[in-house]
Amino acid sequence: MSSTPPQDEPYVSKIDRRSAIAWMGVVGAALAGGAGVIVYGERMGGERVTRGYGTDPKLVKPEKAPWSRIMVPAQLQTAAILADFILPASGAAPSASSLGIPDFIDEWVSAPYPSQVKDRPVIMNGLNALSVHVLKTSAADRAKALAALPASADPATKAFWKKFRHLTIGAYYTTPEGFKDVGYIGNVARTADPGPSAEVKAVLERELQKLGL
Amino acid sequence: MATETYDVIIVGSGAGGGMSAYHLTKAGLKVLMLEAGRNYDPRVETPMFNTNAEAPLRGVGTPDKPFGFYDATVDGGWEVPNEPYTVAEGSEPFIWWRPRMLGGRTNHWGRIALRFGPLDFKPRSRDGLGYDWPITYDDLAPWYDKTEKLVGVSGAYPPQNLLNTPDSPPGCLMEAAPPRAFEIFYARAFKAMGIPVIPMHGAVVSGQMEGRNTCLFATPCGRGCAIGANFQSTTVLLPPAMATGNLTIRTNALVYQVDLDKAGKARGVSFVDRKTGEHHSVTAKSVVLAAGSGETARILLNSKSPKFPDGLCNTHGMVGRYLMDSVGLGVSGQFPALEGLPPTNDDGQGTQHTYVPWWGYEKQKELGFPRGYHIEIGGGRHMPSMGMAGLLPDDETSVGDDLRAKLRNRFGSTIGFDGRGEMIPNDDCYCELDPTTKDKWGIPVLRFHWKWGESETNQAAHMVKTFLEVIDRLGGKPEPHVETDGRKAISKGGEMIHEIGTARMGHNDTDSVVNQYGQSWAVPNLFVMDGAVMVSSPDKNPTLSIIALAWRSADNLATLAKQGAL
Repeated sequence: MSSTPPQDEPYVSKIDRRSAIAWMGVVGAALAGGAGVIVYGERMGGERVTRGYGTDPKLVKPEKAPWSRIMVPAQLQTAAILADFILPASGAAPSASSLGIPDFIDEWVSAPYPSQVKDRPVIMNGLNALSVHVLKTSAADRAKALAALPASADPATKAFWKKFRHLTIGAYYTTPEGFKDVGYIGNVARTADPGPSAEVKAVLERELQKLGL
Repeated sequence: MATETYDVIIVGSGAGGGMSAYHLTKAGLKVLMLEAGRNYDPRVETPMFNTNAEAPLRGVGTPDKPFGFYDATVDGGWEVPNEPYTVAEGSEPFIWWRPRMLGGRTNHWGRIALRFGPLDFKPRSRDGLGYDWPITYDDLAPWYDKTEKLVGVSGAYPPQNLLNTPDSPPGCLMEAAPPRAFEIFYARAFKAMGIPVIPMHGAVVSGQMEGRNTCLFATPCGRGCAIGANFQSTTVLLPPAMATGNLTIRTNALVYQVDLDKAGKARGVSFVDRKTGEHHSVTAKSVVLAAGSGETARILLNSKSPKFPDGLCNTHGMVGRYLMDSVGLGVSGQFPALEGLPPTNDDGQGTQHTYVPWWGYEKQKELGFPRGYHIEIGGGRHMPSMGMAGLLPDDETSVGDDLRAKLRNRFGSTIGFDGRGEMIPNDDCYCELDPTTKDKWGIPVLRFHWKWGESETNQAAHMVKTFLEVIDRLGGKPEPHVETDGRKAISKGGEMIHEIGTARMGHNDTDSVVNQYGQSWAVPNLFVMDGAVMVSSPDKNPTLSIIALAWRSADNLATLAKQGAL
């Protein structure tokens, strides 16, 4: 587990420096926060970009999604706290916030496509409501607010929790760190496909016998 | 280009156009290929090992890229900018997938390469439904042999002697990739039901093949293949055609009309440059349409003249008729028996390694529907996507180590069963020109009419029933809310992207648009060499047959050219 609760340590963007520089050009000033990272500041100036990546984007080296980001620091901070409640660091597996999941949530809710536009108010309203209970509050109050989320009967809160958790899990496990945590060992060039190991086949056989197959 | 003299103009660069160009250029004919989309080179444009985390929105599908960010399709999908189509009022839904790129849909297709069987060419003789082709399986078999050897198809196995599921002769196929854990698993349930499971025929170089790279057993084929280990027109057909020095390719050329001379023969075609909006006409001794069944029909229907006021080759109203697609639907399940398997690399060769061919030919009457389906089955521990949370039950709320453990345990424990079935052509499924809607360049667009028949919806209901039984036998839990009513569960028209049959082949000009070699009855130097010529829509995916038919037809065209008969 991270030794410092997210609330007490400002969420630091994990977007790479090249992207950060391009991004700063779009959204205006942000505070330089050391090599390769920036700390979220209030965004100033510039027209909001709302176009998608088009029908012929570069695939081999994808460019950063072109649309402007809409989340403000308090929302990003709340997203970091909630993402780390869902997937805190554990052993060798890093926390969700350290993999930049809040940035991804921002990319998602800012996107101009219908599915993401539909998710936008669910996530944004949910973060705004949650921020009151997790920012500038005691650790005990924060823990209580987070623990109450999964069991909430309020429809808007339920929808927010479900969608935010879905996005966090998807964003986390699509990273190399997520691959490692879940046990995905593919995406490597091989000269042949040897098929499953004897160990796997033995487990399968046992299970099939249990099923009478 | 203006000073060149061409023997043949080929419209389209996909399975049919690519194959035609390959053969005709090797036969020494000068060919001009016109492709509506942009130039595309899979060697440098394929995101082979990219992770979803590198893509916008983790690679999920959007209206810009409906099959996901990394799908090879360029400038297309269910909608193409500036090129609308319409669906008639009162019609069932129809959707039309089009790319705008060199190689067309061969860049993203599923690489399932099954031969049609003997019964598939003579369906009317079998049960009085649909229509017979003017050729038999034996007529096409030698061309299937050649096609498999050129395309590079995996899936060799000892002869199975299954009805209407042809075994390829020795030497045609490469070795099948071994079944993965989930494939070993599901096979046992089918076996218990008396249903065969056999190696898939996949258009993937799974072994050693001269002049081709072997599959890396990683990265999805739908992204394309930078090393040319799967079949794309752009890696397998067009480079050797270019190497002859006989092929000229013009991209961004949207052909809308076949031009005739005074004698009524094809003089060439007219196209609009999609980038500049300029209109051009080019000439050749013969014309091959291979623009895809929809676009080929559209070109014919838009080619109006005093002799053909309703469109070229349409004197008997056959163009656009007998439009077909595959019947399709899927049901997935989650299987506790697959939970917690030791990590294993399930990336495989891109296509499924095994599949279920249709098993009910001899009991169609008792089943209550006349034609069958095969089953394509996906599963295993594939690269995680944004759908990861879908591994868990909908009401699941765990966090932290509990959540991590549950995901680890369930990763690779889901299997999806997809049916692909035969559709019988009917009078309610066709395309025509929309009387009012035009594309950006003022060219009338297609209007589709669609209605599934009972043969198809009953078949769809049987698919669901079968999949639920298999899931149950394997101790699994089906996805929530499985629709069992075939009429509701069945795919939309066009959704399987197997639309074929708008300019079918036949015995004479009253029952068809072209002869068995794709040569139009009305204009002897005009040929159709794509899926439009198909007479029936068997359950087997059409691409391999489109290529084999195009090769056979191109060979005939080359012979006619040598004889000076064009």
